[in-house]
Amino acid sequence: MTRSNATRTAVATLVAGTFLAVSACGVGGAEDVREGRKTGEVSGEITFRTLQLKPKFTGYVQGVIDAFEKKYPGAKVRWEDVPGDGYNEKLVADAQAGALPDVVNLSTDSFQLLGDRGLLADVAALDPEVAKEYVPGAWEQFKLPGKGDGVYAYPWYVTPEILTYNKELFEKSGLDPARPPTSVEQFFDYADKIAASSGGRYSAFMADPKGRLPGDWQKMGVPILSQAQDRFVFDTPKAVEWVERMKDLYAKGAMPKESLLKSDDINQLYGGGKLVFGPGSPGFVKDIRQNAPQIYAGTQVAGAVTGTLGHIGIYAQSLGVKKDTKHLDAATEFAKWVTNGPNQVEFSKNATIYPSNAQGLADPRFADRGDGKDAETVARAVGAEQLRSAALDANTPVQWTNQVGDAVVREMQKAIQGEQDPRTAVRKAQEEANQLLAKSARK
Amino acid sequence: MTPGPARPDGPARPARARRKALAAMEAETGLVHRRWWTPYLFLAPGLVMVALFSLWPFVNTVVLSLTDAQILRGGTFVGLDNYTRAFADPDFWTAAGNSVLYLVVCVPCLVLLPLALAVLVQAKVPGIGFFRSAFYTPVIASAVVVGLIWQWVLRSDGLVNTVFRRLSIVSEPVPFLTDSTMLLVSAMIVTVWKGLGYYMVFYLAALGNVSPSLHEAAALDGAGPVRRFFSITVPQVKPMMLLVGTLSAISALRVFTEIYILGGESGGPGGGARTLPFLIRQVGLGFSGETGYACALSILLFLLTLVFSLLGRRLSKGDET
Repeated sequence: MTRSNATRTAVATLVAGTFLAVSACGVGGAEDVREGRKTGEVSGEITFRTLQLKPKFTGYVQGVIDAFEKKYPGAKVRWEDVPGDGYNEKLVADAQAGALPDVVNLSTDSFQLLGDRGLLADVAALDPEVAKEYVPGAWEQFKLPGKGDGVYAYPWYVTPEILTYNKELFEKSGLDPARPPTSVEQFFDYADKIAASSGGRYSAFMADPKGRLPGDWQKMGVPILSQAQDRFVFDTPKAVEWVERMKDLYAKGAMPKESLLKSDDINQLYGGGKLVFGPGSPGFVKDIRQNAPQIYAGTQVAGAVTGTLGHIGIYAQSLGVKKDTKHLDAATEFAKWVTNGPNQVEFSKNATIYPSNAQGLADPRFADRGDGKDAETVARAVGAEQLRSAALDANTPVQWTNQVGDAVVREMQKAIQGEQDPRTAVRKAQEEANQLLAKSARK
Repeated sequence: MTPGPARPDGPARPARARRKALAAMEAETGLVHRRWWTPYLFLAPGLVMVALFSLWPFVNTVVLSLTDAQILRGGTFVGLDNYTRAFADPDFWTAAGNSVLYLVVCVPCLVLLPLALAVLVQAKVPGIGFFRSAFYTPVIASAVVVGLIWQWVLRSDGLVNTVFRRLSIVSEPVPFLTDSTMLLVSAMIVTVWKGLGYYMVFYLAALGNVSPSLHEAAALDGAGPVRRFFSITVPQVKPMMLLVGTLSAISALRVFTEIYILGGESGGPGGGARTLPFLIRQVGLGFSGETGYACALSILLFLLTLVFSLLGRRLSKGDET
């Protein structure tokens, strides 16, 4: 039985119309969310999301939750742990659907996105007294450009930058293990010496421009942003000098050739005695102890290169509170509870992390260097020292997004490989970075 | 479906009268009359799935490509701005060029080499099953494992370079993974290597349908193995060759993994080895992802794929006539 053309057309129109109507929903972004209110009563059920802490830290986290629920019988915490793979994608999807957890573990970049889109509560405004609980360098890190003095997440655990190197290879290169480099320029001088004496058997460090920038430039005194923080201004002779040195060292074989593009095999290379400078994080020292005991025994730990800054930046995890949470009191009290001194110290006993909490960092455990021979113990003490003096100007600025980083790195790669001259590379990198910044500034 | 009785022609009657006439007909013939929507009712579950998971995302992509949407930030309608931006973007042309180059190099290899391989392993000799399985192994190997293996082979201090230097073929290591062009070539090698076993199975199925009597008759006429291959085997498996050509062309245009595992997330030094899917991922993902622009690039990739698919169809149609 055939149907009439009119019916056919009507059905087709209906289907197409539905599609267009529904697909238009995809154009919508995060709506302006309504702010939660404080009632003074810590109660209600809140959701708490962490990043890959199960099963290793289940006991610790559950203990923290149980103690909180005991203190506030009216509050209930539903804990969900999400694997690292796809964590950010899930976060974006939940934010899009208005289903963010009340308290959520955020890395620097996810914090920036959610904060910028107005999805996180301003914790400084909610509780002005809480700032002094945290290490300044960590607390300040959760401000956002163009949003005044607001702080949009509680600092949680932090990882400082340290310097690890292979003593034996240091000596072989005619360098004194007791005198690690303290500036980027000196670091390059050392790498030059290492390349000259290695005969291609080992390299000095990983080229990895993505990991080295903007940190190296900041340590060399290169201004990254204008005073008004609205433009990149790193196109300076110092930045060009950095590229020239990198290009020269790359040609001399101071870095593994493939490390210009990938750096994921750094542990393998350092553990195999093919690299002089190892990864710059305390957690790595623990890994090397397990996987390459011989190399571990000859590993020296020192403070990170700080250059003209004299201090380091830090990589911090944080706990954000959903702006429109129904139980603002419970959510903020719980985030403060997880990030308080005793709970953070307890956490650091289970993992190679550091408290962002001033009281936690003052724990004697973090000043103990042992006999000065065990790399892991020294790394803990060195990391903690670096943290106390950490300051904001060494952190990657929020304007240096992943896309900006990628654009800059692409130009650097071409220059280090000799495909374009360093001066042009820095100029083009700045142009592209500014274009991206202008685009993302559109509100 | 049994066809219903022919509907009496005539001027349109009121619905009630029509229903009555139908009921009378059904009672008379014992056949249930089909409504026009009956087949659609059967198709509905499948259609709903396709609509939800293929059509809607596609339409959504088209709509988004006309906006300046970013992650978690609604876009406003910008017309064809994203498309004009793409055409003015040197990165787009590099990526599109790389994708087309990938297709031009890989497709002939993936049409001819698996056929040769299939002919080889078709022979009924003891132990041939082992070789068939061995050739198929790369297909089921995980991308990460494949990436690691090929990195060890192609690194500047890897297997190939070490052999080359020992034999004094080169003085400096060949930059298989650190030069954009060489990285593309290396990725193509991996793609072809992975595709060999996959398409070999297609050809084995096609070769099974070639009648042995044809080969016997040709052999009696004095045709050698090479002549028999080109005069009998190739014409017999030609439809399969066209199918493999189309499938491998679509795969070549969508290549991402090989370049990512060999050359890292920047897609070669300066992004010189990026293909279109690679560029789309870079532009659209992450917390500063430009959803609108990435969708426009996706539509352009779709159009490019469509062109090559239609070309494949046209070729096979021409072959049939």
